[in-house]
Amino acid sequence: MPYTLIDHTADTGMRVSSPTVEGLFVEAALALCDIMGALTPGKGETAVVQVEGVDREDLLVRWLQEILYLVEVKGFRVAKAGLMELTDTDLRGELRGAYTGESLLVEVKAVTYHNLEIACIDNAYVAAIILDM
Amino acid sequence: MSGLNIRRIDPFRLEIARIPPMRTTGLVYANRAIERTLGDVQVLQQVANVATLPGIVGPSMAMPDIHWGYGFPIGGVAAFSRDEGVISPGGVGYDINCGVCCILTGLKVEDVRPRLERLLTSLYNNVPSGVGSCNRALAVSGKEFNRVLELGARWSVKKGYAPTDDLEAHEDEGCIAGADPEAVSAKALERGQPQLGTLGSGNHFLELDVVDLVADSEKARELGLFGDQVVVLVHTGSRGLGHQVCDDHVHGMISAASRHGIALPDRQLACAPVTSREGREYFGAMAAAANFAFANRELIAYLIRGTFEQVFGGSFERLGMRMLFDCCHNIAKMERIRWEGREIEACVHRKGATRALPPGDTRLPPRFRRTGQPVLVPGDMGRMSYILSGAAGAAETFFSACHGAGRLLSRHEAKKRARGRKILDELLRKDIHAMAASRATLAEEMPEAYKDVSDVVDTITGAGITSCVARLRPFAMVKG
Repeated sequence: MPYTLIDHTADTGMRVSSPTVEGLFVEAALALCDIMGALTPGKGETAVVQVEGVDREDLLVRWLQEILYLVEVKGFRVAKAGLMELTDTDLRGELRGAYTGESLLVEVKAVTYHNLEIACIDNAYVAAIILDM
Repeated sequence: MSGLNIRRIDPFRLEIARIPPMRTTGLVYANRAIERTLGDVQVLQQVANVATLPGIVGPSMAMPDIHWGYGFPIGGVAAFSRDEGVISPGGVGYDINCGVCCILTGLKVEDVRPRLERLLTSLYNNVPSGVGSCNRALAVSGKEFNRVLELGARWSVKKGYAPTDDLEAHEDEGCIAGADPEAVSAKALERGQPQLGTLGSGNHFLELDVVDLVADSEKARELGLFGDQVVVLVHTGSRGLGHQVCDDHVHGMISAASRHGIALPDRQLACAPVTSREGREYFGAMAAAANFAFANRELIAYLIRGTFEQVFGGSFERLGMRMLFDCCHNIAKMERIRWEGREIEACVHRKGATRALPPGDTRLPPRFRRTGQPVLVPGDMGRMSYILSGAAGAAETFFSACHGAGRLLSRHEAKKRARGRKILDELLRKDIHAMAASRATLAEEMPEAYKDVSDVVDTITGAGITSCVARLRPFAMVKG
């Protein structure tokens, strides 16, 4: 999975990359689920995520926050993520997986905005996202 | 240090000089040992970033348990004028009113040892802990849940979960005024409702300690502390409800900051004027989440008292179980502060810091007027914790002090170093018995992941902010 953990004293972080900005959002979703232990092989059910933001960084945080909510509160476990629409202020995505409510590995309190920037470096989109644990 | 100008001003304080766009200086409480733990520039840059926010009064401060946070540093204290300043959800954090309470017992450690295994197992079974822990037995909903958000610990007393005497032993008597349940989103309610009366995971814990050293016998006697006494520390907060309240409002305040012309060095510092609509709404929601946390710790205290009754027989009153103190670590409160000879109504943010009122302060209930407010400083799983009390010097921190040891290693690094080791056995060799819902949590929370709390306490007492009353040694714990 194309992400690495960031050493953060209080919490933890993930550095995600992808050749496309849409791919970055998808990889960030899967990375978050991997950290939480929320990945599943089953993909019989679908959850749609729709968020608005002031820019793409805001959209990235809000997309991940919605996934965190679906995982923690609704018990959704994720097999696949995809985007149907991504503009500078709107995102519509879809998660495939199952509402299993299986226990999680760790509790992620929140996805933070701390120093978040989506950058394009060497033909890859990268972002470092700090999670409050 | 990357553009920051830092100088030592005395054995316990470092100053970060004001460089634009900072509006004030930074003040970090650190002796030489703490200074060596500061590591890279990021954490001090966070102190400097807070100093750029509008309406800040006095320096942007950091307590000696300072470490790298997100937005504010952990250990950060900053006061903002009510009329010209801001309120920032990131300056409070996601776990609103994460805090600690200390429950005294009349038992000595030799009374507990013969039944320790049963006691620890019963505590582990009776107090829900771990990732996603819920407590269906204590769950409330609808209007009753709104009462929890309005009343905090007072709700627990009204419902018979706690004695009335507990209330005076809470910061603000366990209820932050101005809570507005209507400002709490449906999602926050959904996340929080099943979690009332749960410990959670991560660095949250329930710990049995023995009073290992009485440093001030007069204050200790007055507070009900004595040598070899068993006390219980509980560390938890507002669970998913607080996390969601912060989420909801950080997002809203990114736009609000822009509308109010506030430049943010880090988006996690998103804020709005205290008196703006966004500021007032956040304060109402934050106070509601803080009250949830007060009630949550009281319900956990209720479960602990019940467990002691099961194991030792008799009522909790006969077992001498009473609340010493319950304090907030992550909070923003409206307080009257004094700066440069003026009285100012301010919104004091404490992010990983605790209030510390000195003897004689009129905000204290009679029981603490002579001792000053107890300041609870839990250390790591394997070393000491401390009970301090606020001292006269705390006026310079707007009556704030440290909240714990402060992390030294990232969770990732701690897990790497724990690989191949048996942390439970290592603790047992120190005669510390632990039960944890997750092995990974134990690794993340191992003692060397934290600073030596004694260095933190040396700094804060050396600076005259607090004085030491007693030292505690852990001997049993439940980790989430």
